[in-house]
Amino acid sequence: MPELEFVNVRKSYQSPTGENLLALADFSLQVGGGRFVTVVGPSGCGKTTLLRMAAGLISSDSGQIRLDGAVLKSPSPKMSMVFQGIGLLPWKSVESNVALGIQLQAHRRRLGDKEVALVDATLAMVGLKGFERYYPHQLSGGMQQRVGLARALVRQPEILLMDEPFGALDAQTRTVLQDELLTLWGRVKSTVLFITHDLEEAIYLSDMVVIMSRRPGRIKQVLEVRLPRPRASYDARAEKEFARLRSTAWQSIKEEL
Amino acid sequence: MTQITNLLPGTPPKNGKSVVAAIGSNQYLVGILSVAAFFAVWQAVSMNVPPIILPAPAQVIAAFVQLTASGELVRATGQTVWPFAVGLILAFIVGTILGLLLGIFRPVARILDPYIFVFWSIPNIAWLPLFIAWFGVGQLTLIVFVFVSAVFPQLLTVESGAREADSFLVEVARSLGGTKREILHIVVLPSALPYIFAGLRIAVGRALVGIIVGQLLIVATGIGYMFQFYGETLSLAKYFAPLIVIAALAVLLNRAVNWAEQILIPWKPRAFT
Repeated sequence: MPELEFVNVRKSYQSPTGENLLALADFSLQVGGGRFVTVVGPSGCGKTTLLRMAAGLISSDSGQIRLDGAVLKSPSPKMSMVFQGIGLLPWKSVESNVALGIQLQAHRRRLGDKEVALVDATLAMVGLKGFERYYPHQLSGGMQQRVGLARALVRQPEILLMDEPFGALDAQTRTVLQDELLTLWGRVKSTVLFITHDLEEAIYLSDMVVIMSRRPGRIKQVLEVRLPRPRASYDARAEKEFARLRSTAWQSIKEEL
Repeated sequence: MTQITNLLPGTPPKNGKSVVAAIGSNQYLVGILSVAAFFAVWQAVSMNVPPIILPAPAQVIAAFVQLTASGELVRATGQTVWPFAVGLILAFIVGTILGLLLGIFRPVARILDPYIFVFWSIPNIAWLPLFIAWFGVGQLTLIVFVFVSAVFPQLLTVESGAREADSFLVEVARSLGGTKREILHIVVLPSALPYIFAGLRIAVGRALVGIIVGQLLIVATGIGYMFQFYGETLSLAKYFAPLIVIAALAVLLNRAVNWAEQILIPWKPRAFT
């Protein structure tokens, strides 16, 4: 199974007043093996920076990000990113937006029969059958994020990067999509690196929760979540173990606020 | 509040009490009434002033028919439309392509933008004597003048459109592995498309002014010349005929642009319909 490794990654930004803000300091983490790993932390702790570096969108100041041992310098076709802002192209239909996941990976305008079938299957998988020809603005926020998810999954990524994908959705839709995500993850067997500021979401979804310190972001604590799966099959959130983890995580984060 | 909502198109009148609202909800009726009112006011005013100030509607219609039958109006329209069309089409093509290039290649734009802005700021009428000196008194001068009138609004509008492509969408495309070229094609160009139409709308107006001014002042042909001739000879009834043609042309072109926009930009949610 492919591994994504952060090795002593450091990244700083220039603040508007010209100061050097250290966002991440000596951050090291390994994710892989088809595990669901979530990073939580106070806002401004560099979580999103982390993911953007993994996606190849920005580079680190020092340290390395490796994928299967090779240093990562640009967006990799083995990974897909799902954004909080979704980022669907308003002028493309649902179907075309999802197809884009393959087109930009393969650098081809036209898709072959197999790929068209893959787009169809992915759309069906996320529950968008019948919405192929809709434009994004005709869909609700939850439906739009399903398109975002389909665009990522159609690439059959080995690692799925998710940057607060449900952050902008209402509570009900968010709960529904969390369960759908777990079901999909069970089927595609990708490794997931998920970012959120919602502790319950982190615990409910993950095998491992990484808690970060305030800026400059470092790993403060790692929690293993051993609640049995599928978690939708029982009320995992009502388990004692769930409450214990949430309380531990909250104590840890509270010190960083 | 109720009065305001009643005046919005398509809002059903409350209890049928407001006559204005009841009429306002029927678009055809509104159109007919408005045209009738326009002619009534025109007629009323023309009966109270000498025909040399404002001829009656009937006189204008008669003059229009006569000028059409004699072929003069048709010929003039032809003489106006073709240099107008050539100048406008060239301005559209050049303005759109240059606008896109300048919107995308910012370092080049930073050098050229000040020049473009200065040229655009000069009232285009000031170019006319220079163009006559360069291109003589003829169709070429007219075409160049129309082109210069229309090219700057097209260029500047498209440039700002290409520049303001959503950086987040560019980032998303990049994360999916898109190359610079692919991103231009799938993100930047479609974002600029509404601006291409916005530019065209302004360019059409400017080009119309250009062709009329050009024909009026230099090349004594076409619709522009009819304005000059019938204005100077105080044949006001005839003066209105080319005016009607120009108004019709303007409306027609605007409709065409709107129509093309709706066909080519089906994804755009419209706030007011």
